Amino acid sequence: MPDPFLYLRATGAAAIVSAIVALAMLRRGADGDRRANVASALAISFGLIAGYYVLSLHLTWPPANGLDRFLTWILPAVVAIELVASIPRVPTWATWLLRYCLAALLPRVLLHGSVYLSGSDYGWERSQAFWVLAISSGLLLIVWGFLTQLSRRSPGVSVPISLCLAIQCAGVTIMMAGYLKGGSTAFPLLTVIGVTIGVAAFRRRRASADSVDGRDKVALPAIIGIAVVGLFGLLFIGRFFGEISTATALTILFAPLLGWVTELSWLRNRNPWTVGMLRIVIVAVPLLIILLQAKRDFDREMAPLISHASSACPLPTGDDT
Amino acid sequence: MRSFFAASTLAILVATSSLLGNQSCQAADEYDYDLVHSSVSFKARHLDISWIHGRFNEVSGKFVIDRDQPAKSTFALTIKADSVDTANAARDKHLRQPDYFDTKQYPTIEFKSTSVKPIDGGFEVTGDFTMHGTTREIVLVLMGGEEHVIKGKKIVAFSTELAVKRSDYGFDPKAIGAIGDTAMIMIDCEGVSP
Repeated sequence: MPDPFLYLRATGAAAIVSAIVALAMLRRGADGDRRANVASALAISFGLIAGYYVLSLHLTWPPANGLDRFLTWILPAVVAIELVASIPRVPTWATWLLRYCLAALLPRVLLHGSVYLSGSDYGWERSQAFWVLAISSGLLLIVWGFLTQLSRRSPGVSVPISLCLAIQCAGVTIMMAGYLKGGSTAFPLLTVIGVTIGVAAFRRRRASADSVDGRDKVALPAIIGIAVVGLFGLLFIGRFFGEISTATALTILFAPLLGWVTELSWLRNRNPWTVGMLRIVIVAVPLLIILLQAKRDFDREMAPLISHASSACPLPTGDDT
Repeated sequence: MRSFFAASTLAILVATSSLLGNQSCQAADEYDYDLVHSSVSFKARHLDISWIHGRFNEVSGKFVIDRDQPAKSTFALTIKADSVDTANAARDKHLRQPDYFDTKQYPTIEFKSTSVKPIDGGFEVTGDFTMHGTTREIVLVLMGGEEHVIKGKKIVAFSTELAVKRSDYGFDPKAIGAIGDTAMIMIDCEGVSP
């Protein structure tokens, strides 16, 4: 059973640490995007370390399962790539090459040593494994590329907030399907992304009020990259190690892309706040439907285990089944 | 005459060694785990006031029992973790997930003997027990071992119980709450000659 107070403490720790780092590094406000990217990546990193430390995730080293590999290899890798991308002399094509490499490796790394790739009777055949890994990498790149492009075309907080909503939906859905530990890792992640983009937007707005050019929009590819990889990793683990369905995982993954709807010409030129709010609402609708479905499944399958705790089922307060 | 004597000696030696060899082969009997007449079940404390029972439905194994030299006997058992069955489908689904058995990452629970010692009424078997990706040495006291022959097939049976602490095998400490840390595993198995 979930421990809301633990999640609250972990979320609080993640929020405080990421806010402190972001405020310290973005104190001049009018810094360039590259410096803001570095600050964002570091704020997210330190916030995640604090959040996951409080969450007591009991990680193993070397990482033994998908979640361990996601938290100890994949997330640090994407942070490192986004830091490299912030170096002025690194060309954009090199940055994207690194992102392609990560996307290509990510599914294989997460499934390493699992029954799927074991070659046993109940694993995948070689060709099936190839196609699943290739399609998964392709999906990640599609979402990553389109959301990065969207945040460039329409900078602001709405794209990162859409991603936060999707991450929250993924975490809760995975938890309601029975994988508490995996789902709980979503809370510090969405918190640090939300706090970091909030601080960046606040600093940029303060700076724009003082400056002449009035630049008050944030477009931070580092935040988008970490959020997309975080969302994809959670859903991948929830699908292949937990019990969420392929349709659910794909719906949550693609929901943030609905933000492109606001790029239609008759919407794009409206008030930026209106466009931003509309974008968030459009993304939230399918996520809400997914959550309602997950709640329905939870009520049907897991809730009876909790409500009949006095019988042969363990789940009266929490850590059991 | 000398060559006849040498040939006779060689023939006797070969015959003796061949006979000894056959005896040795006959002494070590092989048995396959009989899924129909065997069970691997478990129970764990719930709220420290009662027991929850379950079983694994897919198990395979092989025993080699050397009656003359018991130390050469071997025992191996493989349990498919996905086959966990607690008579509640939703709970079984939950148990397969990474908070518990993580059956996609660790599909099997295995025991492989490393040394065997005869005791009164059975064998004391030391071996490597692997569960949830962690291997630890355990000692099983296998009671039984008497052989029966039915329709030309040799059948042997053993029973044992062991207590394992989930925390010793890398289970998430947060998943050890209302269900006790220690689980009892009961193995009652028959082996049948191939």
